[in-house]
Amino acid sequence: MGRKIPLPMLIMAILGFCYMLVPIVIVVLAGLTAGEFLTFPPEGLSLRWVIAFLQSEKYLSAFFFSFRLALMTMIVATIIGTAAALFLSRTRFIGRGAMRAFFLSPVVLPGVVIGFALFAFYISTGIGLTRTIWGLWIGHILYSTPYVIGTVGAALASYDVSLDEAARSLGASPMRTFRKVTLPNISQGIQAGSIFAFIVSFGQFEVSLFLSAPNSEPLPIAMYNSLRYKFDPSAAAAGIFAIMLVTASVLLTNRLVNIRRLLDRN
Amino acid sequence: MSSVEFKGVSKAFGRTVAVEQTDLVVQQGEFFSMLGPSGCGKSTTLRMLAGFLTPTTGRILVNGRDITDLPPEARGIGIVFQNYAIFPHMNVYDNIAFGLVERRQDKATIRRKVEAALEQVGLTGYGERFERELSGGQKQRVALARVLVIEPEILLLDEPLSALDKKMREEMKFWIKDIQKSIGITTVYVTHDQSEALTMSDRIAVMNEGRMLQVGTPVDIYEKPASRFIAEFIGDSNLLDVTVVKSNGTRCDVDLGDGLIVPAHVSDTVRLTPGSSAGLLIRPEMLRLAPALKGEGPRLTGKVVDRVYQGALRRYHVAAGRHELVVEVPNRPELSPLSPGAEVQLFWSEESGVAVP
Repeated sequence: MGRKIPLPMLIMAILGFCYMLVPIVIVVLAGLTAGEFLTFPPEGLSLRWVIAFLQSEKYLSAFFFSFRLALMTMIVATIIGTAAALFLSRTRFIGRGAMRAFFLSPVVLPGVVIGFALFAFYISTGIGLTRTIWGLWIGHILYSTPYVIGTVGAALASYDVSLDEAARSLGASPMRTFRKVTLPNISQGIQAGSIFAFIVSFGQFEVSLFLSAPNSEPLPIAMYNSLRYKFDPSAAAAGIFAIMLVTASVLLTNRLVNIRRLLDRN
Repeated sequence: MSSVEFKGVSKAFGRTVAVEQTDLVVQQGEFFSMLGPSGCGKSTTLRMLAGFLTPTTGRILVNGRDITDLPPEARGIGIVFQNYAIFPHMNVYDNIAFGLVERRQDKATIRRKVEAALEQVGLTGYGERFERELSGGQKQRVALARVLVIEPEILLLDEPLSALDKKMREEMKFWIKDIQKSIGITTVYVTHDQSEALTMSDRIAVMNEGRMLQVGTPVDIYEKPASRFIAEFIGDSNLLDVTVVKSNGTRCDVDLGDGLIVPAHVSDTVRLTPGSSAGLLIRPEMLRLAPALKGEGPRLTGKVVDRVYQGALRRYHVAAGRHELVVEVPNRPELSPLSPGAEVQLFWSEESGVAVP
């Protein structure tokens, strides 16, 4: 409290915030325009494009498809990512570093590369995943899992293994030890990772571009497709809802995590 | 009756041998310490006993039962860790109840036992607290209560005092020893602190580089060390380079140089051959200083080099020929301080000189 932040640092921080927040503000304002076209600054404010979004069969179904896809991706990515992080942190073998880098590579590889690679793989092997929701789901899981590995891995790195050993020597089996001691203490990392996975999947574009099925488009693809033909502010309105969803999910997890802490106290 | 038995136990990590083949017997109710510098293999030995590591060779027996292949949860051995490992997501009550819950005891029994354990360690009313709300000493008590409540056959303590400040450490030393004695539990204690080992133990194993160099009572270890390493590791020591002249069981004569030959004791686990070089250990507190020739027994003539005031005692550095010795003299009015440069005689009684290989 009361610590003075040096002025240059304060200015840098404000600039940084602006840099990140301005595009969001622009999207929100553009979606609230009263005019016919996607412009900034908006030509007066109205809810007409928000209403248009809510009445648009195409956008609404894309929004809910993306929501379901992100949810399913989050569930699988959380399980796989947590297991992988546990494996990487609890075992010692030659090539562990390489394996870790491999698991995390989807973060550094451009989404286009992953999307195209999977697309080519589905087509060339003919395993019937090309442009299906299953193939898309797999692509999203592949893309999101490293975020879970990263956050859970960080939680495990600061985890004191003697807690597990204490539980074992007090009579708990390995499974019980994991459930009663390890899991509660890395749950923050898992929750953060799953939120990341959800957000990353919800906003995913490049992978979806290659893999999405024609009749079930995720929201980013639907927005892109609609903007290709007309410069319609309803895309920005869709963006408002996407931003709201992501913000809500972050706030919700924050709340959940705090509630968990409160429950633990009693 | 033997409580813990190691039969040819060793542990290697790849090519590195952490613990060399060890045979060891710890008696029922004994407080047994493994003492050594970090990396000497004491923790590895403890972890094999707890079941966190599998020995490369050998068998481990507890009360005659071979536990080598049992997982930690089936061993009935309690361990207190250096950092206490209190579960941070549970309160003190649930921490202590953990082992009882795993043993499927009923709620009423658990409550009764946890309350009794809290009382035993002097933490009645602390059940609702969390780890972050406890001081170091309190965490220590919780960790011990959590282990004792499951009534283990063996109690393992892995450097339990090293995270505490000095005053608390002194207090806990006696407290742990008292609890151990009152329930009579066989205890294996790991430490790098010689004063802890000397104060608390019935027997001590001094370890270095994966080997148990000497196993004996604190008196044995301090007064009849079996090697230079032990002599220097335990307590303060003057180690003079000498040559063995005559050896006869636990007695020998050593040459301090310039034909000055003095008698010395030898640990009964050690054989010295005449002609070999050895160290003569004389503890600083065993030496007496006098300005002039008087008294009996072995002696050296030297000159005071330095004097350090330490409150309860004065420490003198004395040069005597090619040897340099430290002498501790109690700070009493009748022993007037000697100034640097003073010519002195150093005396010690025959029993306090120990030859070590």
